[in-house]
Amino acid sequence: MSATKQFWAILRKDLLLELRSKDVFTSTFLFSIMALVIFHFAFSPNLKDLTPVSAGMLWVAVLFTSLLGLNRSFVHEKDEECLDGLLLTPVDRPVIFLAKLAGNLIFLIVLQVIVVPIFALFFLGGLTAVAALKLAMVLLLGDLGICGVGTLLATISANTRARDLLLPILYLPVMTPFMMQVVSYTNALIMGGTAAVDMSSWLYLIIAFDIIFLLAGYALYDFVIGE
Amino acid sequence: MSTAGPALEVRNLTKHFGRRAILAGIDLTLDRGEFLLLLGPNGAGKTTLLRVLATLLAPTAGEASILGYSLKTDPTEIRRRIGFISHSHLLYRDLTTYENLRFYGEMYGVQDLDNRITELLERVELTHRRYDTVRDFSRGMFQRLAIARALLHRPELLFLDEPQTGLDPHAVDILDGIIEELRADHTFVMVTHNLERSLELGTKAIILKNGRIVYDSADRPDPAELKATYRRVCVSGDGDECD
Repeated sequence: MSATKQFWAILRKDLLLELRSKDVFTSTFLFSIMALVIFHFAFSPNLKDLTPVSAGMLWVAVLFTSLLGLNRSFVHEKDEECLDGLLLTPVDRPVIFLAKLAGNLIFLIVLQVIVVPIFALFFLGGLTAVAALKLAMVLLLGDLGICGVGTLLATISANTRARDLLLPILYLPVMTPFMMQVVSYTNALIMGGTAAVDMSSWLYLIIAFDIIFLLAGYALYDFVIGE
Repeated sequence: MSTAGPALEVRNLTKHFGRRAILAGIDLTLDRGEFLLLLGPNGAGKTTLLRVLATLLAPTAGEASILGYSLKTDPTEIRRRIGFISHSHLLYRDLTTYENLRFYGEMYGVQDLDNRITELLERVELTHRRYDTVRDFSRGMFQRLAIARALLHRPELLFLDEPQTGLDPHAVDILDGIIEELRADHTFVMVTHNLERSLELGTKAIILKNGRIVYDSADRPDPAELKATYRRVCVSGDGDECD
């Protein structure tokens, strides 16, 4: 039984459960759309051009949407103690981490494929093809960091009674320095970039955070998933 | 390595939750092919002992070897060789019978999985519900499917945590039948409160109280002695109950 087969088995099971229940997608989709609509109506009477504040609004929506999704990502495992069933199988714990992370990442990407064009319609005048590609890249890098930390912390909080409360308390402070880099880079990208700002340093920091988050999750998962 | 030696060898096993000792120095040896009854009042530590031996909880101290593999260093090898049936069925409600078994089968790397699933579904009489989502199953059907799940990978050692709880007579008969079939070449550890039924099965019995073994039959338990000890332990006046 290879780790790859076990990875695909967990991922396929999680996707199938989500397709059946639509637990994560329904709540996160409605939340992100509502957030963008509210931001639009809050700012549009006062600002003619919403572009300068759009990066912040996009990532606020993504961050809180992901929080909602991460909180739900262990619902099926806690139901009927299915997590015990999973832990009884001869699977290395980091494989569970990678499969759960992949599942969370897929949910977030699918959501963004629908929500980001709506965001662009509301807030962006127009992006060049290169800027749009870079935006997709930074969204992917941001999602990777969010899901890396989020999967680890969602596992910790899922094992507690106050999981709805604990996850934001753990997750938001850890994400703050990462989100500062992501928002700064996205803002510079949307504004067309400026010579005064070295955008690459933000990008390197985002990639560094991603690597640290993924390695930490991979290395620590054995300790957090058990008890 | 896994074919020699006892099925279970436990030395001074302790488990603390915070400052509270749930298991306080368990010593236990069980030969292969034996059927151990694990008895005791509520809160004695029976389920915790089972969960530690099944690698679901890490012991605070002590050593345990299961089927020749160390609990500390070879938990994955142990997981390949044990089955676990508890009062929770460990099944995903939004998956079908087949999808649940396929998922677990893939996790265990079961060869010829479809045929194995077919064979087990016939044994637990759930073939007709193969493609039904399990959400609407009765308690008995859930537990029958849980038995199939636990046997998928042909485990050598089975941990049963009150497997008969809430079962209808038909499901109890199926469970008893399966246990009878497997007894010849499997080792069992069963937590139970049903002393009358389980006495026929047990080749060894221990009674736990406050995380310690207070009775060890060493050999096939004498029914009269076991019943008397069980009753004495369970009504000793400190509020514990045996159901």
